[in-house]
Amino acid sequence: MLRNMAKIAIVTVLIAWPQADAARTPAFIRDPQQAQPSALSEPLAIVVNQSNPVDNLSFRELRRIFLGNQSHWANGRRITLVMRDTDEPESKTILRDVCEMSEDQLKTHYLHGLFTGEILVSPKTLATSMGVRKFIFNVPGAIGYLRKSDVDATVKIVRIDGLDPDDKDYKLRVQPMGANSGE
Amino acid sequence: MIDRALNATSRYHASLWLFLVCCVVATIGAFAIRDLQTASRDAQEMYAGSVHGLQRIGELQYDTQETRRSTLYALTTTDSNLQVEYADQTRAADQRVKDGIAEYRSLAKKPAEIALAGRLARDWANYLNVRDEVLASILEGSTKEAVNLDLSGGVPAFEYVRQDLNEVKHLYDSDASQRLDNLAASWRRASWRLFGTLGFTFLLSGAAVWTIQRSRMLSAIQLAKLQMEFVASVSHELRTPLAVISSAADNLADGLIAGKGSLRKYGAILQHQSRNMGHLINDILLFASTEDGAKHYILQPVQVSAIVDSIVSATEGLIKNAGFTLDRHIEPDLPLVIGDLTGITQCLQNLIGNAIKYGGNVRCISLRAFRAPSDKRPDREVRISVTDQGIGIDHSELSHIFDPFYRSPRVQAAQIHGTGLGLSLAKRIAEAMNGRLSVVSELSAGSTFTLHLNIAKGEEIEMAREVLGLPSSSLL
Repeated sequence: MLRNMAKIAIVTVLIAWPQADAARTPAFIRDPQQAQPSALSEPLAIVVNQSNPVDNLSFRELRRIFLGNQSHWANGRRITLVMRDTDEPESKTILRDVCEMSEDQLKTHYLHGLFTGEILVSPKTLATSMGVRKFIFNVPGAIGYLRKSDVDATVKIVRIDGLDPDDKDYKLRVQPMGANSGE
Repeated sequence: MIDRALNATSRYHASLWLFLVCCVVATIGAFAIRDLQTASRDAQEMYAGSVHGLQRIGELQYDTQETRRSTLYALTTTDSNLQVEYADQTRAADQRVKDGIAEYRSLAKKPAEIALAGRLARDWANYLNVRDEVLASILEGSTKEAVNLDLSGGVPAFEYVRQDLNEVKHLYDSDASQRLDNLAASWRRASWRLFGTLGFTFLLSGAAVWTIQRSRMLSAIQLAKLQMEFVASVSHELRTPLAVISSAADNLADGLIAGKGSLRKYGAILQHQSRNMGHLINDILLFASTEDGAKHYILQPVQVSAIVDSIVSATEGLIKNAGFTLDRHIEPDLPLVIGDLTGITQCLQNLIGNAIKYGGNVRCISLRAFRAPSDKRPDREVRISVTDQGIGIDHSELSHIFDPFYRSPRVQAAQIHGTGLGLSLAKRIAEAMNGRLSVVSELSAGSTFTLHLNIAKGEEIEMAREVLGLPSSSLL
């Protein structure tokens, strides 16, 4: 029985691999046109606790963190990932541009990681951006994402690949509040 | 000694005493009222302070518990949204605690309070450090780690805070007890002062009433005594001429007087004595009329020369018979004065009569009329003075010589007859004419009595000019 299940899993992985491989390709490389900042988009900032010494993350590190593959910061503090509900535009941006997975894929990924022990804690899901901000303010090892306009002094913005959210080449963007979602 | 003091105490003095008593009572009363106000203000401040202080301490204790409670509430759920809400609550509560501690530190004055405030702030900061770690662990989902942290660090740290707050309350209670004692002492002090004021007021009021009554009684006794002396004096003054008249009448009736010379002599005696009696009775009647205000003078502009002429004419015989001389010094161009010629003459006649009576051996009387003060001040007046070089008046008697019926013991001892009405009458006449009478005297050197008369002006001068038919320049 177990052997059959393992076979099914391997087959499933092999079938899904090309898609997953394509999904793993960074958005910056995969679709240069999509990577161009839209005039109607708003930067999505990656934020951490003010006491966190980290100021910059590579995109690869960011992806590892959001996929639960990196569980601790360099100073030894445990990483706590904070996310919004998956139907929020911010979460869609993260799923699409950072995790490069669908919602279900990410759930599966985490279930698998938790089951195998590769991932220590699942992400915390908060209903509002204010909740995200307060959570990160209270937890030194927390990391999450907020619209640039929702960021205040209680949290710290982390540069991604040396880019600030206000930089022209900053890639993580989300539709402005109130705009119709085309996705 | 008291009686002597009271003898000297007139109603004016009694009134002054009463006024002083009122001032003293008012002052002490003001102090008592101030004490009561202070005590009342202290009580109000203490009540308000106690209520506010206890309320703040209670709030502080509640907020510390709320800080801990909200943290622990976060343990009861796995919903991150709820946990964040609890985190918010605990942080809001701990901010209120910080504010409360800061307020306590700012109000702390005693060394024990200052030290306690510092310790409380330190212990609270220590607890918050643990609380932050516990909260982070809860939010991270590490419940077991959070519980361990709270048990190992949070509970003891919070116990320190709780003890500190108990000590704050204990210190506050001690301070409140101290303030209560101070308030009670303040009330006692105010009460004693109030009782003292009331007692003092009662005593002083009694003393003042007694003094006034005693003064009135003494005044009445003195007046009765003076009236008896007056009656005796008048009787004596009347009896002497009456005895002479009676004796002369008896001799005439018995036919003992024969010859024209003797008859003329007896006639002269009868005439002189009857005139003396007439003068005496006139004086008494005049005094009585001025006493009850029945005597009215017609005030009008009068020339000083007319006054001098009148007085010289009225007293010429008297002065001559007494062997005195009258020196007149009348300043030229004196203005009109306001007065009644008859009254002024009567007044000066009394003064000259006294000068003759008490003139001593230097039989010279000086009559002066002059304007004073000498400069152009608006209060200028005309003064008419009568000066003798006789026995003079002792300084201690100067305040009494204008009292009715007063006669100096020295004069009585010297058997100088009189009623004691002359100077009193002269003073009343002067005052009735809006003037006054003053005296300067030196014992055994003589006396100067001065009649002060107001200068006529404006319409009064015009009226006088028309009546007298004189040019206006001659009246100024």
